[in-house]
Amino acid sequence: MPADYAIETSDLSKTYRSRWRRREVRAVDGISLRVARGATFGLLGPNGAGKTTFVKLLLSAVIPTGGTARVFGRDVHQPEARRPVGYLPENHRFPTYFTGTGMLDFYAALSGMSAADRKRRIPEMLELVGLERWGAMRIGKYSKGMLQRLGLAQALMHSPTLLILDEPSDGVDPMGRRHIREILGGLEEKGVTIFINSHLLAEVELFCSEVAIVHKGRVALSGRVKELIAGKGYKLTAAQVPEALETALRERAVAVAARDGVIDFQFATREHANEAIDLLRRENCLIEALSQTSSTLEDVFVRTIGNGGGVAGAPKAVEVTA
Amino acid sequence: MNRTASMALIRDTFREAIARKIFWGLFGLSTLMIVFFLFVMKIDIVAGATASISLFGFRQHGAVDAQRLVRGVFGGVAAFLYSWGNVIAVFASAGLTPSVLEPGRIELLVSKPLSRWHILLGRYVGNLLVVLCNTVYLVIGVWLILGWKTGIWSPAFLLAIPTTTFIFAVLLAVVVLVGVLFDSTALSIMITIGLLIISLILAAKDTMMKLLSSEWSRRLWLTLYYILPKVYDVGRITLNAIMDHTFGGWMPIWSSALFAAVMLGSALYVFSRRSF
Repeated sequence: MPADYAIETSDLSKTYRSRWRRREVRAVDGISLRVARGATFGLLGPNGAGKTTFVKLLLSAVIPTGGTARVFGRDVHQPEARRPVGYLPENHRFPTYFTGTGMLDFYAALSGMSAADRKRRIPEMLELVGLERWGAMRIGKYSKGMLQRLGLAQALMHSPTLLILDEPSDGVDPMGRRHIREILGGLEEKGVTIFINSHLLAEVELFCSEVAIVHKGRVALSGRVKELIAGKGYKLTAAQVPEALETALRERAVAVAARDGVIDFQFATREHANEAIDLLRRENCLIEALSQTSSTLEDVFVRTIGNGGGVAGAPKAVEVTA
Repeated sequence: MNRTASMALIRDTFREAIARKIFWGLFGLSTLMIVFFLFVMKIDIVAGATASISLFGFRQHGAVDAQRLVRGVFGGVAAFLYSWGNVIAVFASAGLTPSVLEPGRIELLVSKPLSRWHILLGRYVGNLLVVLCNTVYLVIGVWLILGWKTGIWSPAFLLAIPTTTFIFAVLLAVVVLVGVLFDSTALSIMITIGLLIISLILAAKDTMMKLLSSEWSRRLWLTLYYILPKVYDVGRITLNAIMDHTFGGWMPIWSSALFAAVMLGSALYVFSRRSF
């Protein structure tokens, strides 16, 4: 029977100990996470939160000090568990003696692909990532963005059903990012589970349907992106606001931005927004615009991390379904 | 074991050895030696004895037993290859293990559906084959040239191929263990060459047993001698076989093989338990 989850971790922990001194760093501290098949999942967190260690634990590149990790129901320690996984590491260093074609051939062979399949698939993958004319070139000549795209092609060579990408847009220009998003979109439609570790919140918000925010090695918050950013608010834009009224409204607003004599007030509730409109009209101010707003993932992230991670109240097991 | 992956790992080691000029460096040195025998050293045989030998155009006359002379040349080549060839090979290939462990490279390798021991063993075998190719090229080349020039074909010289490669395999196991423990090419070379020197000193055990006064120091010497690889003794076995067609016994070979197995086994264990 196929496993329900592409990724399933239970109380997964990693503590680094220095070789000589008795110093310990708890990089991952009991993360329990479930990612359903076919989900697009984003792992977020500030630098040093333990995101990359968590990803490496999923691939058995790091040996855990506690807990378990399973990929499609198999313990990640088993080499077979990694067969359906395509992985693009952060700060990869592909050997520069490879050509683009040679590099894809090597890593696909390690994934167990036959020579005939590799020969057929390499031109397809190079074309997919827009490097079809660069296959014969040594990768020492590639730009950072090209290497990133080649790395993505490498991860896709053996048609994985789980794609784990660690900072996939690192060093890629905006056009390249859009291209990568389109490729990932196509894979999502085919039912490939995509797990992205990134600090680019806007990108994760654009692409992922679920996220988990990791802070100090633990899951601080998780859920569907739509639900997390659904916190309602109202933005009121007004001009010719007297200073005394501006000061009064600033106290009611959750955020204020002024530019060229126009002020944006952000209110948390409809009542606050209506009160502000009444006050502004009484003073004959010009109301330029009123709109309902939702939080961005960045707001959610800042609130979560700013609150010290909210770890104490975080659920022990986090389930995310496609 | 996945044969496709094994072949890919071996090919990758060759590719890296070529890119780092290791392969061609060893190939160039071997070629130089072959060219020396082809053009510089001239041996004229008359009725089974040498009429003359010349080196760089300087001719030395005198009837020497041709068989003895050719075996002496083969012995010299084998000794050179066994000693200096192996030292050069250790220097040249010591970086091939730490290079795989570089951050950004190793994570991707261990994320593939392969066991860790498969990855490390693939690199070890690839490294061994790089040296084996050059040893075969040099030994066969010299053997063919001297055979062609003198008409004397001594198959015992070909024994230099397995014995040289065998001792390199023993030393490479140490290189790999130090490499996975410390990620350091320099330390790999220092420890391996240090071990080589110690094993050569320990080989003088018969003399030392007479010189050492205390029982415990004699026991310590013998213990170290039997534990560590017997580089000198295996070399002696090779030379005796080439020059006198005699065989000195298997003990230095199996005990060195056991040492290599323990070193390689330890390297595989450490590698399988490491976090990257």
